[in-house]
Amino acid sequence: MPTEAIDPPDIAWQRVSPTYLTVRLVEWALANLLAVLVLSAPLVFVLLGWWLWPPLWLAVTIPAAMLLVALWRLALIPRQVRAIGYAERDDDLLVRSGIFFQRTLAVPYGRMQYVDIAVGPMERGLGLCTVKLHTASPGTNARIPGLPAAEGARLREQLAARGEARLAGL
Amino acid sequence: MTTDGQPPGPPAVPPAADSLETKGPSDGEWLRVHPASPFVRGWVALAAITFFLGRDVVERTLQGQPVFEDGFARRAPWLLGGGAVVLAVAVLGFVLTWYFTKYQVSGGYVRAKSGLLFRQHRQARLDRVQAIDIVQPLLARIFGLAELKFEVADAGESAVRLAYLKLDDARQLRATILARASGAVSSGTVSAAAAGAGTVSAAAAGAGAGSADSPGARHFAQPAHEAPEFTVLAVPPSRLIGSLLLSEQSFFIVVGGFASVALSVLTENRAFYFYLVPAALGLAAGYWNFFNKGYNFTAAVSPDGIRLRYGLLDTQAQTLPPGRIQALKIAQPPLWRPFGWYRMQVNVAGYGASGNAAEGNTRTILLPVGKLAEVMAMLSLVLPDPGTDRPAAVFAAGLTGRDSDAGFVTTPRRARLLAPLAWRRNGYTATDTALLIRAGRWWRELVVVPHQRTQSLALHQGPVARRFRVADLVLHTTAGPVAPRLTQAGLDQARQLFNEQSARARLARKRQTTEQWLRQVAPGATVQLPVRQSPGTPTPGVPLPGAAASDARIHHQQEGQQHG
Repeated sequence: MPTEAIDPPDIAWQRVSPTYLTVRLVEWALANLLAVLVLSAPLVFVLLGWWLWPPLWLAVTIPAAMLLVALWRLALIPRQVRAIGYAERDDDLLVRSGIFFQRTLAVPYGRMQYVDIAVGPMERGLGLCTVKLHTASPGTNARIPGLPAAEGARLREQLAARGEARLAGL
Repeated sequence: MTTDGQPPGPPAVPPAADSLETKGPSDGEWLRVHPASPFVRGWVALAAITFFLGRDVVERTLQGQPVFEDGFARRAPWLLGGGAVVLAVAVLGFVLTWYFTKYQVSGGYVRAKSGLLFRQHRQARLDRVQAIDIVQPLLARIFGLAELKFEVADAGESAVRLAYLKLDDARQLRATILARASGAVSSGTVSAAAAGAGTVSAAAAGAGAGSADSPGARHFAQPAHEAPEFTVLAVPPSRLIGSLLLSEQSFFIVVGGFASVALSVLTENRAFYFYLVPAALGLAAGYWNFFNKGYNFTAAVSPDGIRLRYGLLDTQAQTLPPGRIQALKIAQPPLWRPFGWYRMQVNVAGYGASGNAAEGNTRTILLPVGKLAEVMAMLSLVLPDPGTDRPAAVFAAGLTGRDSDAGFVTTPRRARLLAPLAWRRNGYTATDTALLIRAGRWWRELVVVPHQRTQSLALHQGPVARRFRVADLVLHTTAGPVAPRLTQAGLDQARQLFNEQSARARLARKRQTTEQWLRQVAPGATVQLPVRQSPGTPTPGVPLPGAAASDARIHHQQEGQQHG
C-alpha cells in the first residue's frame, strides 16, 4: 500500500512528546484488557463447568478475536503517536493525525474563538497537557494531545497573541 | 438622530412628538414589552385553568341539573375559591413576568432583563447581529403583536427574544437595530453625520415601500426608518404543493404504502391497516407543517439585507444582513428534475444552534422551491460578488453540469470505481470570492462557501482513498444544514486546493475589516443607502440568468467599494 502522506510537502512538523505514548498505552490497557477480561469470563465459567451453553470453541474464539484486535491496535499506537504533529505557519495552525485515516487540519489564527488546555490525571503525572482550539464551527476538532506542559502553555500564549492580532469576525 | 429607535407612541403626530420628548434624551431607557404578551404566551395555561373550572358548571347547566348538588355544595366554595386563587396566581405571575421583562437599546448593545426569582440579563452586541426575525404566532397575529428575535454571534447563548411588541414597534426596533448594526447610525456620531442620516431616512421614506402610516414630517423625527424593500420573488402555493408531493419523503411514503398493502394482502391480515393510521397522521402533520411554514414565501431585498417572509397561520419575517451567510446549498432531488426546481438552504450563525430543530430547519431555508432563474436571483443577492466574469455559466455548470465545464475539477478517472455514477459530477471550482463544491448524479447538490467565511479546513483520507490517490477536503462552517465536503478529489488537486483555500480565506478576511457592513464603504456611508437601492430596482421580475449576471456585476462594483 502506498503510504504517501496527504499533508502538503515542505512542512516542518512539531511532534508531540514521546511520553504521550505512555498515556495512550495506559488508556489502551484500561479499555482493551478490561474488555478481554470480561469477554473471557464465559470461557472460565465453561471450563469450570458452571455454564453449559456457550460451546467451548465460541467461548474461546470471542476473547481471542478481541485480544487480536487489541494487540493490533497496540501495535499501531506508537505509530499513531508519532503521526500526530502540528506546525505553526504564519497565518494558520496545522494539525495532522492518523496513519490509516489521515487528517490534516488548518485553523486560521483569526478564526480561533478560544484556546483550552486540558490536563487529565495521567497527563498531570507525566507533565503533559492537551491543547484544544475552538472556532465558531463545531466541526473544527482541533486537538493537540501530549504536549509538555511548558510547550502547551507557550503554544496557548502564542495562539492567543496571534489570534488577537489577526482577529476576524465570524 | 439623537434618539435611538424607541418605538414611538400612537401614530398621531402630537403624541409622537410627546413620546420623543420623553424618550429623546434617554438613549438607553428601559422599556417593557407589550402588557398582553404574557397572556399571549401563556394562553394555554389560562385556557386550561378556565376549562377545568368552567367545564363542570357548563355541563351541569346544559343538562338542566342544579349546578351544585347537595353533597357537592358544601365543597363548592372551597373548590371555586381554590380555582380562583390558582387563576389569580397565574395572572399575577404573568403580570410580574411582564413587569420584570425590560429591554434597552443603547450604545452598541441591546440588553434584555427578565425573571423575578431567577434574574436573567442578556446583552448583545449590535455589530454582531447575524440575523433578525419578526415572528407572529397565530394568536399574536390576531392581537397585532409580534416577537422580535435576533441571533448574535457572541460567545454562548445566542438568541435574544423580545416577546411581544406591537407589530409596528417591532418593525421600528428592527430598523433601529439594523441601522446600528450596519453602522449607518451610531450613538457616537456627530451632528453632521446625524443630519446626513436624517436626510437618508427622509430619502428612504420618499422611496418608501408602503409606509402608509403617517405624514412625512414624522419621518424626520423618527430615529431609523425602516429600509425600503423590493420583492424579488414569490413562491406560488401551487408550486409549493407540487414540491411537497414530489419530495423525497413522498417517494418513500408511496413505496411504503405499496409495501404495506402488499403485505396485508399476502398475509390476509386486515389489522395491518390500523398501523398505518398513526403513520398517516404523523405524515399529514409533517406536510401541514411544511405547507404552513412555506406558504406565501417571498424574498425581498433591502439595504438591511434579504427579507424572507413566509407562513400561513404563523408568519415570520427574517432579515439576513449582507454577508452573514456562512455557507449555502442548492439541492435538487431526482423527482424535481423534470420541473427544474431547486431548494436553497443556508448556514447562518445562530440558526443551526437554535434549540428547536424544526424551527431551525425552516429558518435555514432560503428558497423552499424555485426555478433556475430564481435560484440565480437569490444567488446574486447572497453572493453579490460572484468573483467571476460569467457567473451564470459557472453556477449553471455547478447545478447541472458535469466533467470540466466552466472550470470544474472533478474526481480523477482512476477513482471512478469509488463513485461509479457521481465521479463526473463530484468536483469543485473556486471563484475570486467563493468555493463551489458540486456533487451527486441523482441528488444534485451545489455548495457555495464564501472565502471570507471559511472557519477552518481539513484534508481527510482513508485507506481505500489512498489506494486511488484521492482525498476529501472538508470546510468547517457554523452549525447548520450545509456541511461542505469535497469528496474524492485527486490528491494533488486536493493538496493544492488546501493551500490555495487557506490563502484565499486569509486574503478575504483581510479585506473584510469591520462587522458593520455599511462602514465597509468608504466615507459617505450613510449617503450610500438610497443609492444602493436604485440598482436593485430592476431585479424583481427579470430574474433571468443573464439579468442575474448583469445585476451581479452591478453589485460587484458596490462590493468592490465595500472591500476597498
